[in-house]
Amino acid sequence: MTKVYSKSPDVVFRKIADEFVLVPIRKNAADLESIYALNEVGGRIWELIDGHRTTVEIHKTIADEFDVTPDEAEEDLQNFVKSLAETGSIKES
Amino acid sequence: MERVHSVPQETYTAFSNSIHSKVLEKNIPIDGTIELTQRCNLKCVQCYCCHDPSKRELSYDEICRILDEIAEAGCLWLLITGGEPLLRPDFLDIYMYAKKKGFLITLFTNATLVTPEILDHLSKYPPFSIEVSVYGATKEIYEKITGVTGSFESCMAGIKLILDRKLPLKLKTMAMALNHHEVSQMKEWSEGMGIEFRFDAMLHPKLTGLKDPWDVRLSPEDAVALDGSDQKKLDAWREVCKHPWEPSQNGRLFTCGAGKNSFHIDPYGYLRPCDMMRTFSYDLRKHSFREAWVEMCSAVSVEKAPGDYKCRGCKMTFICNQCPGWGFLENGDIYSISENMCDVAQLRARKFGAGSGNTKGGMSNEEEILSKAQR
Ligand code: SF4
Ligand code: SF4
Ligand code: SF4
Repeated sequence: MTKVYSKSPDVVFRKIADEFVLVPIRKNAADLESIYALNEVGGRIWELIDGHRTTVEIHKTIADEFDVTPDEAEEDLQNFVKSLAETGSIKES
Repeated sequence: MERVHSVPQETYTAFSNSIHSKVLEKNIPIDGTIELTQRCNLKCVQCYCCHDPSKRELSYDEICRILDEIAEAGCLWLLITGGEPLLRPDFLDIYMYAKKKGFLITLFTNATLVTPEILDHLSKYPPFSIEVSVYGATKEIYEKITGVTGSFESCMAGIKLILDRKLPLKLKTMAMALNHHEVSQMKEWSEGMGIEFRFDAMLHPKLTGLKDPWDVRLSPEDAVALDGSDQKKLDAWREVCKHPWEPSQNGRLFTCGAGKNSFHIDPYGYLRPCDMMRTFSYDLRKHSFREAWVEMCSAVSVEKAPGDYKCRGCKMTFICNQCPGWGFLENGDIYSISENMCDVAQLRARKFGAGSGNTKGGMSNEEEILSKAQR
């Protein structure tokens, strides 16, 4: 599956110490009542989503950089992208 | 990806605790306060703010630079306060700038100056929380404290506007001699609308050290009795008393997050460990936040409780709010204690079941407090 996603300008990514937090700043843009904590892989995926890279490229980078099998990386990526899209934090471009 | 705020609340609390514990030893300034002004449209009798017209408040550009720097340094929770922050004509610009940096913003306001225009923005870009101080349940008491005719109506109208927009509001009051008989009424009114309410009776001197607020301060007995008359506070204190923790043995004067994970910036650009500690101060017009923060952290961390520090080893530490900030504001000395705080702690211990107040740590004893009260 090759898709390209871009980030919503209404969600701010914060990296604090080794923690990753997504803060939606605008009502309606996402589920504003929430903030989200990301794990390390999630944080890296977020950094890699830039409106140009394809999910295939992102998958490759994740599988290279983290100690996961390609299948695990695929699953992490799918799930994460799905929840980001559901909250309106990213959209397909 | 884990959703951590605000449903369910436990998830958020767990997130907050977890991130705080992770940054604790790293000196990351995760909790910040920025006071936009010390000016206010009200003139509350107990107010500790002291606007100094000879000093120049930070400009919008200066504030934006500081917000960039504190975000970079790891600040996540940001309190925007005053004085009355809405008095600044550029309040909305500052708020929006902070919002876009991804801070979780708490706004303290007296609500008298909120307008539909301000709330339009806040509805679109909501704060994490808005906290409004209410000084009385009736116009008479409220305005006796604020000193401004018509301020009660403005405050009520402001609260209504905030509620109409369904913004995350909390109400609170400073309990003092003028309004303590109305605290339960304020609480019922607030909780009746489904809004969290809290009160605090510990009034401290003005930031200049002037003791004027003490004219209306509750006696230790009345302050503790007020806590005891509130079921929620009573339960909370009893719970605290069931799990007393031992005083820390590390000898550090500061046992809180000030200058470790939290900081305060005043309207004139001075960085400090907290709003009460005016001794350590670093001019952010001359230094970057990072430089000033590093210097402040090391200055705070080397402060040791002196050998004759009264609280050293005191078993009541867990029920006492004494800290160097209070010592400083009350006596101009961070190594001194607030006698009033000490009396309150002793009475709390007695009333809420932490055993009899022992005199370890140099506390004044019960008889002394009671006899003082009778004088
Ligand atoms: S509303 Fe707050 S800042 Fe204003 S005078 Fe009262 S206590 Fe002071
Ligand atoms: S009760 Fe008194 S001696 Fe003990 S910690 Fe509090 S102020 Fe210090
Ligand atoms: S008031 Fe006291 S306890 Fe609070 S931050 Fe300041 S020094 Fe610490």
